[in-house]
Amino acid sequence: MIKIDHLTKRYGGTLAVNDLDFEVKPGVVTGFLGPNGSGKSTTMRIILGLDRPSSGQATINGQRFANLKDPMREVGALLDAKAVHPGRTARNHLRALAASNQIKRSRVDEVLDFVGISSVADKKVGNYSLGMSQRLGIAGALLGDPGILLFDEPVNGLDPEGIKWIREFFRTLASQGRTVFVSSHLMSEMAVSADEIIVIGRGKFITSGSIDDLTKTAKGTVLVRASDHDKLASAVALHHGVVHEANDNGLIIGDLTSDEVGQIAFDVGIAVFELVPQRASLEEVFMDLTADSVEYESHSSGTV
Amino acid sequence: MVNESTLLASTKAEWIKFRTVRSSMMGVILTFVLIIGLGVLVSSLERSHWSQVSNLRQATFDPVSSSLVGILFGQLAVGVIGTLFITSEYSSGSIRTTLTAVPNRLRLIASKLFVLFATLLVVGEVVCVAAFLIGQRIYFGVVPTASLDNGAVLRSVLLAGVYLALLGILGFSLGLIFRQSGACISLFVTLLLVVPIIGFFFPQSWQNDFQRFEPSTLGQSMFSPSAPSNSFGAWSATIILTAFVGVVLLIALALFERRDAGAVT
Repeated sequence: MIKIDHLTKRYGGTLAVNDLDFEVKPGVVTGFLGPNGSGKSTTMRIILGLDRPSSGQATINGQRFANLKDPMREVGALLDAKAVHPGRTARNHLRALAASNQIKRSRVDEVLDFVGISSVADKKVGNYSLGMSQRLGIAGALLGDPGILLFDEPVNGLDPEGIKWIREFFRTLASQGRTVFVSSHLMSEMAVSADEIIVIGRGKFITSGSIDDLTKTAKGTVLVRASDHDKLASAVALHHGVVHEANDNGLIIGDLTSDEVGQIAFDVGIAVFELVPQRASLEEVFMDLTADSVEYESHSSGTV
Repeated sequence: MVNESTLLASTKAEWIKFRTVRSSMMGVILTFVLIIGLGVLVSSLERSHWSQVSNLRQATFDPVSSSLVGILFGQLAVGVIGTLFITSEYSSGSIRTTLTAVPNRLRLIASKLFVLFATLLVVGEVVCVAAFLIGQRIYFGVVPTASLDNGAVLRSVLLAGVYLALLGILGFSLGLIFRQSGACISLFVTLLLVVPIIGFFFPQSWQNDFQRFEPSTLGQSMFSPSAPSNSFGAWSATIILTAFVGVVLLIALALFERRDAGAVT
């Protein structure tokens, strides 16, 4: 289990992580979701003892990472697939890692085989594609057969077949009772690969729960086509509804249920031709949740 | 704080890492080529021009340090080996992988230092003894020679190897402080070759005090059978250089313990 305890990290004047407090449990795939620059990687680096927290702490099964004796036997991590000396072969890279944690040498061949890069294991890592480097990184994470696994944006650079493979791989790891903690900035990716989700933005905790929980809490909209759109819009406004969009095809109304919209239309004597509740997509839920916390926002309007 | 079995494990890992990259091996080969090659060149010139050399120079000629003259350049190769052993971890980002495997930073550095010092000491001793013997072989019959049977000569040749290993550690420590190959290597070269030039511009009275503390002068003292004028004896020079490298290493360690290993650019 990973426990994040009131964790804060400041780089100079900027708060990268702001009082995060959560737990990652074994047996499920936990997604760590947030826009780019929201503090996911920083949090992972602190869990791994690479960066020092400004306050609070992160623990692995109750211990600080730096105090683990052979850490690769307890925690496997893939932060940056390219964080390997380019002049070394994959096999030598893994052999050195295995030696450092007293892992037997035969395990190197096992993990190379498992991730499917045995045939290129004696080639220099500098010549690897991003996808191959990712596989090497996963091999390194698995080397010590750890109970806890951390992956930072693991699907980046993988081809569709690799993505499918890695999703099934996470499921398998979790079903073996391991703790699997995967970060991503893509809600759609998390929707298919994670069971539980922790959402952060600008270093702050936003929400957590299962995918279903998250979509349920999101507010949907109602599409309505009626005989008098102008009249309906003003009636909706009176009942604290919000008209998101209005054109000849109808109105898109927020903050009210379809039942309420139907009732309002009936009360003011408007004929309703079409009334469709629209559930927010996961991507919209995510956008909605993190709308205030996107660091680098693009603006669609205006001139450049 | 540092467990014995894990220290052995991380040292094994660092040894694998050291010998599986081309830069270390190239550095070792370069050290041999520079020290032995320059030794052969200078010794041969000494021999062929011996009859034209003044009596005074003939009287003060030191067959030990002249056969080891290649150290002047070989020391740079050794410094680069030491620097790259740590800066390549930062330039490739592999320091993050290394630290997730060995999070105890003191243990990691102890392992790296052990591998580096042991390797460079063996390389240094082998190359210095070889350069010395080849030099004497070239001098034989024309120029005065020295023998390892003489205690002071043996000490000089062996301390020359120690000098190289210490400079490797100096390069490593600078690498750990600046985490950037280019900057470290220029600083290392400046320290060894440029600082002595600056010394020449000082008033004579300062010059004597300043020069004998320069790493290259300390080295000269270490591999000369009798101490050159205005410089320390061989053992004092060894202690001073070790202390000097030790201080730089301690600064490097203190910084390494404190700093984040995450993003370095």
